[in-house]
Amino acid sequence: MDFSFTYEQSMLRESVTRYLEKNYAFETRQEIVRSAQPYSSDAWKTYHELGLLALPFPEEAGGLDGSIVDLIAIAEPFGAHLVVEPYVPSIMLAGGALAAVREQPLAQQWLEKIIEGEAIGAFAHEDSHRVGDAKQGPVRATASGDGHRLEGRKQLVLAAAEADVLVVSATAENGAQALFALEPTTPGVSLTPFTTIDGRSAAHVDFDGVEVPAQACLSADAAEIIGSVVGQALVVLAAEAVGATGEVLRQTAEYAGTRHQFGVPIGSFQTVAHRLADMKMDATKAQATLLYTAALVEAGTATPRDISVLKAQVGRLGRKVAEAAVQTHGGIGMTDELAIGHYLKRIVLIETIFGDSDYHYRLVGAAN
Amino acid sequence: MDLESGPELEEFRREVTEFLDSAPTDAIREAGRKTTSAFSPFDETIAWQRILHEKGWVAPGWPVEYGGTGWSVEQRYVFAEESAKRGLPPLLPNCLKMIGPLLIDLGTEEQKAKYLPGMLSGDDYWTQGYSEPGAGSDLASLSCSAVADGDDYIINGSKIWTTLAHRANRMFMLVRTSTEGKKQQGITFLLLDRLDYPGIEIRPIIGLDGFPEQCEVFFDNARVPQSGRVGEENQGWAVAKHLLKHERGGGTNSPWHERFLGRIKDAARVRTSPFGGVLAEDPVFCRELGELEAEVASVTALERLAVSGHAIADNPAFSSMTKTINSELTQRLTTVLARVTGEDALVLQREALEVGGGVDPIGDDIDLVAMPYYLNSRATSIYAGTNEVQRDLIARTLSSR
Repeated sequence: MDFSFTYEQSMLRESVTRYLEKNYAFETRQEIVRSAQPYSSDAWKTYHELGLLALPFPEEAGGLDGSIVDLIAIAEPFGAHLVVEPYVPSIMLAGGALAAVREQPLAQQWLEKIIEGEAIGAFAHEDSHRVGDAKQGPVRATASGDGHRLEGRKQLVLAAAEADVLVVSATAENGAQALFALEPTTPGVSLTPFTTIDGRSAAHVDFDGVEVPAQACLSADAAEIIGSVVGQALVVLAAEAVGATGEVLRQTAEYAGTRHQFGVPIGSFQTVAHRLADMKMDATKAQATLLYTAALVEAGTATPRDISVLKAQVGRLGRKVAEAAVQTHGGIGMTDELAIGHYLKRIVLIETIFGDSDYHYRLVGAAN
Repeated sequence: MDLESGPELEEFRREVTEFLDSAPTDAIREAGRKTTSAFSPFDETIAWQRILHEKGWVAPGWPVEYGGTGWSVEQRYVFAEESAKRGLPPLLPNCLKMIGPLLIDLGTEEQKAKYLPGMLSGDDYWTQGYSEPGAGSDLASLSCSAVADGDDYIINGSKIWTTLAHRANRMFMLVRTSTEGKKQQGITFLLLDRLDYPGIEIRPIIGLDGFPEQCEVFFDNARVPQSGRVGEENQGWAVAKHLLKHERGGGTNSPWHERFLGRIKDAARVRTSPFGGVLAEDPVFCRELGELEAEVASVTALERLAVSGHAIADNPAFSSMTKTINSELTQRLTTVLARVTGEDALVLQREALEVGGGVDPIGDDIDLVAMPYYLNSRATSIYAGTNEVQRDLIARTLSSR
């Protein structure tokens, strides 16, 4: 068994880290978040030059055939630097889904543009579970002429507002999960755009009698594809959470060693020291779970249970660490100007989307 | 990154399972079912050790030249996994995981030749004499004294939490040989080759679970040979710290956690929820069980990484972290088992816990063990350095204080 990064993976991680350290300091990141643009197109260009936009895709689709471990090698630094570019939505989710059905000309066409950095994709998958209005229920696809008609709502679609293409999952009349690709300008598609708590662009997307041609349907039976694409994306998202968790711990440990109260560093108080020890253990467990699960995914033996364990653990443990980081920093930890609270918000978002920790724990516990 | 399995490992697993299915006696299996502590029932566990010793499988962690198996880390994991799956009693740790490895590292050739064979065969059982009534977490303040006299030491004082001392014939201990300088500098590490020297008295202590697992040992001018010293006089603290690494170090805990989880699930499938149906289908229970399973999965991941040589285990706080994580997970598992068992766990039934006692439990095996296990496992965060001490050590590696 070997769970360490290879030389190539370490080099890739190093070059991403070097770029982010130089060009993505926290202040710069905050300028990007505050700007009118949803993300930094300069940074996106650099990711393209570094090959990151092509990383997960097969060579014959214009990709670099990267493994899931290659992806976590770069996603951890993304998390540590609170990168806001839509890597997971456009590359892992929309790109991943398109790559899985690339025998469809429309899919291949969009995928090429995404890989080249010429288009952004968004994956409209999560339904709202809490909205009573039937019109805002899950998206359904019905036959309509030669094509299909989409009706319903998708919730919290990351990068939807700037997306050139929406990849949409919908329940077909036979109950199967179908996959569609359409432009957000298609009549009947309306977006409620917003910024998420962690500074990202997203939108709720309503489909009100949206007519799409037959070729927009990329797959009539996509449940397996969706499961695999979301699974891979969750591993990458977990890596971002682990990167953020490690960094917020590092900054907090440093602070506890330098911040003086009562004439001594606060880290010399046992209450504070033990909280730091708990943070370290939680961060270590989260990281170990990530590396082990990634190895299972790479070996092709990961089960949905493994992904649920990872999702729930990095979310819950990461949130615990980030909340403890705020507490250890005291008042200054509550301010917008410090990175600490932004790590908390990033981790809270990761914990909440695609099923929160309670949801995944319950799945794990019920699978007996 | 890769996960090796391969035909050779599967062949090894077949060999292991064949042996584990046939070699243990009924009494040994019963001892496994009635284990309610990190220390399994003594006689049957020693009997199992003898069988494994005969097979050459008693000390997977030891170097081959001292009686180790020469197994790869994957093979060792497989062995632990298959043993745990069958609920066989884990071997007592004192010889095989503590004093044995210590002597291999730091003992003289004479000490190794004299003591290692009995540790492997199960002929000898060594108890650990570290803590004293006045020296627990602050171990370096220990005062049990050894004064040189000719070729001997004269020992006075007492040791406490000497696990299974009433079943042991030997002891490794820390004694004070000097009161000069820093308190750590006057400590010596000593092996007692007998516990029946005049002046030694052993008194069992009844624990929360009703069993005399721990003891107090009194020394009243007990004369013991100096040849039992490990390392130099007054250098025993470094020796003890070396051993603590063995005692706390990770390894193969997760298969036993998995086994425990399995018992919880078994219990939940047949016990009813007060809200109807069985517990295993109760959503609140599923949520809690899911988190517990995920925690076990994370510990498994951590151990797998560590045995593979991943840098995560190079952290200076790693052994303190795994001690804390494993002990608290054990407590959590036993807590959930006791809660699943509910009122059925409230029946005091010591006689039924005796292996070979022939007394049937009121209820089933799980009803029998849940509460003593829960009670006994309160000690896991206290022994081998309290978790408070571990957290101090972990924090020290994080932040300058």
